This record gives sequence, C-alpha cells and structure tokens, in this order.
Amino acid sequence: MTRVPGLPVSPGVAWGPAALMLERHPVMRCGIAAANVERERGRLDRAREASATQLRAIHARVAQQAGADLASLFEAQLLMLDDDLLVPRARRIVESDRVNAEWALDRAFDQFCAVFADVGDDYLRERRGDVADVVGRLRRNLRPAGSGGGAPAALAAPAVLVADELAPSFAAQIDPAMILGVAFETGSRTHHSAILARSLGIPAVAGAALVTTYIRPGTLVLVDGDAGEVVIDPTPGVVEEARRRRDRRAAGAAPPRARPSGPVLTADGAAVRFLANIERLEEVEAARAAGAEGIGLFRSEFLLGGRAVDACDEEAQYGVYRDLVERMAPHAVTIRSFDIEESQASGRADAEPEAGSRARGPLGLRAIRLSLGHREAFETQLRALARASRHGSVRVLLPFVSSVDELRSARAALRSATHAVQGTGPELTAMPVGVMVEVPSAALTVDLLAAEADFFSIGTNDLIQFCLAVDRADRRVAGLFDPLHPAILRVIRQVVRLARPRGRPVAVCGEMAADPGALLLLLGLGVTEFSMSPAAIPEARDLVRRVTMGEVRRAAARALSLPTSLDIAALLAARFPALASWPLGRDGRPHMEGHS
Amino acid sequence: MRERAVTVRNALGMHARAAARFVHAAGAFPCRVTVTREDRADRVVDGKSILGLLLLAAARGVTLRITADGAGEEEALRALCRLVDSGFEEAP
Repeated sequence: MTRVPGLPVSPGVAWGPAALMLERHPVMRCGIAAANVERERGRLDRAREASATQLRAIHARVAQQAGADLASLFEAQLLMLDDDLLVPRARRIVESDRVNAEWALDRAFDQFCAVFADVGDDYLRERRGDVADVVGRLRRNLRPAGSGGGAPAALAAPAVLVADELAPSFAAQIDPAMILGVAFETGSRTHHSAILARSLGIPAVAGAALVTTYIRPGTLVLVDGDAGEVVIDPTPGVVEEARRRRDRRAAGAAPPRARPSGPVLTADGAAVRFLANIERLEEVEAARAAGAEGIGLFRSEFLLGGRAVDACDEEAQYGVYRDLVERMAPHAVTIRSFDIEESQASGRADAEPEAGSRARGPLGLRAIRLSLGHREAFETQLRALARASRHGSVRVLLPFVSSVDELRSARAALRSATHAVQGTGPELTAMPVGVMVEVPSAALTVDLLAAEADFFSIGTNDLIQFCLAVDRADRRVAGLFDPLHPAILRVIRQVVRLARPRGRPVAVCGEMAADPGALLLLLGLGVTEFSMSPAAIPEARDLVRRVTMGEVRRAAARALSLPTSLDIAALLAARFPALASWPLGRDGRPHMEGHS
Repeated sequence: MRERAVTVRNALGMHARAAARFVHAAGAFPCRVTVTREDRADRVVDGKSILGLLLLAAARGVTLRITADGAGEEEALRALCRLVDSGFEEAP
C-alpha cells in the first residue's frame, strides 16, 4: 500500500481498478514512403473528424450540465480544430517532410508555440493551454484503439481515472456512470476540470505527484477527495473504512438529521468551535447537518465558475450571499472575497506549459491584489455583501493580504461600497473584516494587522507552501510540502500569540485542520476555532471531545522542541494512540510514507 | 480594400473565447479579413483564423488594424470594430 498526497478538489471517497489516461505520450518520428502520404493524411483527417464529433458532444453536455459560459470554451476549441494553422499545416508537413501524422501534428504545434515564445508575452503563454488541449485530443484520436490513450468515454467497466494532466475537455468527456473517481498529477481546485468533477459529484484529487508512474492499469486505487490522498493498493482495512465513510455520507445526504450544534467541549471542558468551508449554496445543508457553528469560509470565487472577475453582477451575488446568510442563521457566515489567480480571471482552460512546472507561479497577481486592481468588481462584491448583511451576520475575509497597506486599501473600498448602499435601506451595521494569514509577511505582522482587522483565519495550504518555499504544483518538490515541519508549528504559535493582546480570534481554515494529528497540535498551540469541509467535521468533533487541553498543550510544547516532522509525528502517535485507528486514517505521519 | 484601427478595451484582451467571437463575426462576410497590431505591423494574420488571432497577443490597450477586402468589406469592418470596441461583448 502506498499513499500519495494531493489536493482534495472534489469531495467523497471512491476506489476501483485504475484506468490510465496519458496526455504526454512521447511522439516518434517515422519516415514514410511517398505512397503512404495519403494514408497519413487520411489518419489526420479522421482524427480531426473524431475530435470534432467529441468536442460537439462535450459542448452540448457541458452547456447542459454547467452552463453556456463554461461551454463556450469548447466552441473556441472547435474553431481551433478547423484552423488552417493546425491540421492543414500538419497535412502539408506530412507531404513536405515525409513523416507520420503524429510527428507532423507535433511539428505544427511546435511552430505555433515558437511564435508564441517569440512574442515573449506572459499573457500569451496561457492561451497556449487551450491549443494544447486540442492537440492532445487529436493525438489521442490518432492512436489505435486500446493503446491506453483512448477516450475515457470508451471505458468498458467503471474505473478510477488516473491521468497526468487535467485538460478541461478531457474532464468534460467523463461519463459519470463509468468514472468512480479521478486522480490527477497536476491541477488545482479552481481548474475547470476540478469544478466539473465537483458538479458531477465525482471524488477527485489533483496534484498527486507521479501517480501515473506508480499505478499500472487495473491496479486497485482509492481516491480520497476529502483528505486529498491517493492510495495505491489499499489494504482491505483501508477500503472497509472508506466504505463506512461513504455509507455514512450517503446516510447524511438523506434528510439531514439534526445534530447537536453549539460548541464542542474537550474532556476537561474547554470550548472548541467547528465551522464549515463551503463553495456552493447547496452545501449549507451538509454544514448544518454536520453541526457547523457557521460558515468559516465561503469561497466566493466559485460564483465566477472560472470566468472573469466581473462576470457575476451585484444582484446575482447579493442573491447568493443573502440566501447563504438566511439559511445559516443564526450563525455567522464568513465570505472570502474572490481568491483567483490572474490566469483564472480570464476564464481560460488551464494546462501546464511543461511537465510539472508553471508559467506563472503562485506569487503573482491574485486574490486581494487582483481585487484591488479591479476596484469596480471588488466594490461590486462588497456592495453585495453589505446588502446581504442586512439579513444576518456576514463577515468579510480578505485573502492573500501581505501588508497593512493592503488591508487599508480594502477597508477604503469597503467604506465606499457601504456608503453607496447606506441610503438604500435599513441602517447597516459594520461587517467584521478579517485577514487570511497565508503569506509569511502577514503571519509575522499579525500584531500590526490586529490593530485594523477584526479576526484572522490561517490558510494553512498557502502558508505552508510559502514558508517552506514549495510549489505544490511542481511535482519535483511537492514531496517537501510538510504540515508538521517545525517552522509551521512556530509560525502558527506566533500568529496566535500576536493576535492575543487585542483579543482577535484566530481560526484555521486549511486542510491541515482536517488531519486528526495536526488538529490536536493546533489545539495545543492555542487555536480553538476550526473551519473545514462539512464531511470532516463530525469526526473532528468526536476527536476533540476525547482529549484534554492539558495533554494537547503539553504535546504541542514538546513538539515545538523537536527537530523534524518525523519526530513530531512519532510524538503524536505515542501520546495519542487513538489516532492510529482514527477513521480519517491520517494520523499526522509524514505524508510521503510508503511512497517508494 | 478598407482599413480601420480599433483598440482592445476589455480587461483580458483577445483571449480564446473573444477570438472565437471575432472569427464567427468575420466569417459572416465573404470578404477577406486580415488583422495586424499597430505596433507590430510585420505580423499579419487571417481574421478568420482563431490561432492567428491568438498569435497577435492582443492584450488590453493594444491597437489592432483590421483590413477587409472584397464583398461586404464596409459592413464587415463596422461589425468587427464594434465587437472589439464593445470589449467582445463582455463586461468591461
């Protein structure tokens, strides 16, 4: 059994035989006789025909399931398929160079990319991803049937799809009935494909390094879209646990049983609050059923569905926020302003420019930086939030803040938005404004930010990635991503300490809190509010009830003196034996365990 | 043959879907349509080719020179300039 960590991009758990889908097949150059030029051209034409048929079907399906906006991308792909610069150029290369269709297609694409490189515009490199998706489809259609590159729709039996890349047309082609779960080597939560997987209810994990190298077709694979993990050759016990979890979820999805809400008490009576991370209105029921005391993180960018920052107008946003607030009453709803990257602001298809690397890193124009640059769209969102705050308790959370200046600029935008809304209805009460602590500069200046922010929420994924200088999308270093790294514990302790003098609450809303071992450590470090996916809340509540603040504090104090994450994991296992058999099965051990 | 200049206004420039709209609009006219960037006149692309248009890397603020030649050239220019000018019918 081997566990490979990844990003949970679509919740749920699934297991089954693996079906491999490889986009990055090496292409061979084969010289051909003059007599075979027509044969190779015929292959290109047939691949083009097949691709056009598939894209039209994908377009229709996506339009129906996810809306015309997401679907229009495939209209653009159909145009690319017919463009003179692609297939006709490849046909000419077949004749001029006397080469096979695959090679000619690759040369045509190379020539196209060479012009891009020549322009040297960052903006452009992103557009290449859409073209690469079309070329990948043509390549698959050139392959003989059954050679491992076939369309996923052609699967004979239900399987777990294991793929290297996350091209949107690829994901859109998934027949939900045949695909049990999906594991991708690249990608992130906001890729079009991840959004599609969620809308289809298929558990998915992205960024699972090297899964296509480790997994052979037919191997039993388990995809854990809650914890963000791919398990290769899971033991019967692990599968059994997954089955229980799936059944529990199915039962929970039925009429939500009223669960006791309200704070959870540790064995020695300390109150711990659990809130839910959600991105769609429909998840409110799951959050309530899980006993969440509010929404700790609403990922508002999912309203955009991969479209531009100004794609969702004030009325539409107001409708969703108001609904959310009313359905979650009397609890507070924390809404994070759009957390998108520049590349996603364009609503384009995303594809990695080359194996495991990115054209644009995670340090670019994103989240609050993008909002402050698109002031009108930002104020539109803030006006919608201010209006929704008349119907219940709304808190505004600012992502990716790196300085007090940004917080002030955001507050200025909020004042202007509030002013615009003020005269239109009942008096507004000021909404609490919080800062996501995910950039190290924010973590180190929480005391300064605390003078002007009302609350803090630690986004562990980004904070870990920036503190450890690990780009999780780069598979060569993704293994260095380590939530139990001593530096992470110290940073979190520091944030809690710096926020304390002004009494600003500090919550943790990253995936780290859904890991039982890490949860106990965070509790010991002084964090008493956690926001996580609704599915993870019941077990986290159960766990917290069984420990005392004294023992988790002692464990955290000891952990702070240990030199490596292995030592820290060993300490947790020794102090909290229950973790070893905990349902989530992730007891804080180093995540590359067994990955050999 | 007629020619007109128009500046890309929408925030994201001529991305894939915007270029697709341009190709659809140009395809409605029988005349030949070519496009070039005012600042890089050496690269002239077919206005009915989505890949060609993407190669222009027309971000916001770039001025495009659209040329139409043949039947319906005036109407084509008017429609295409209106499309670019409207930010490809996206929000600004």
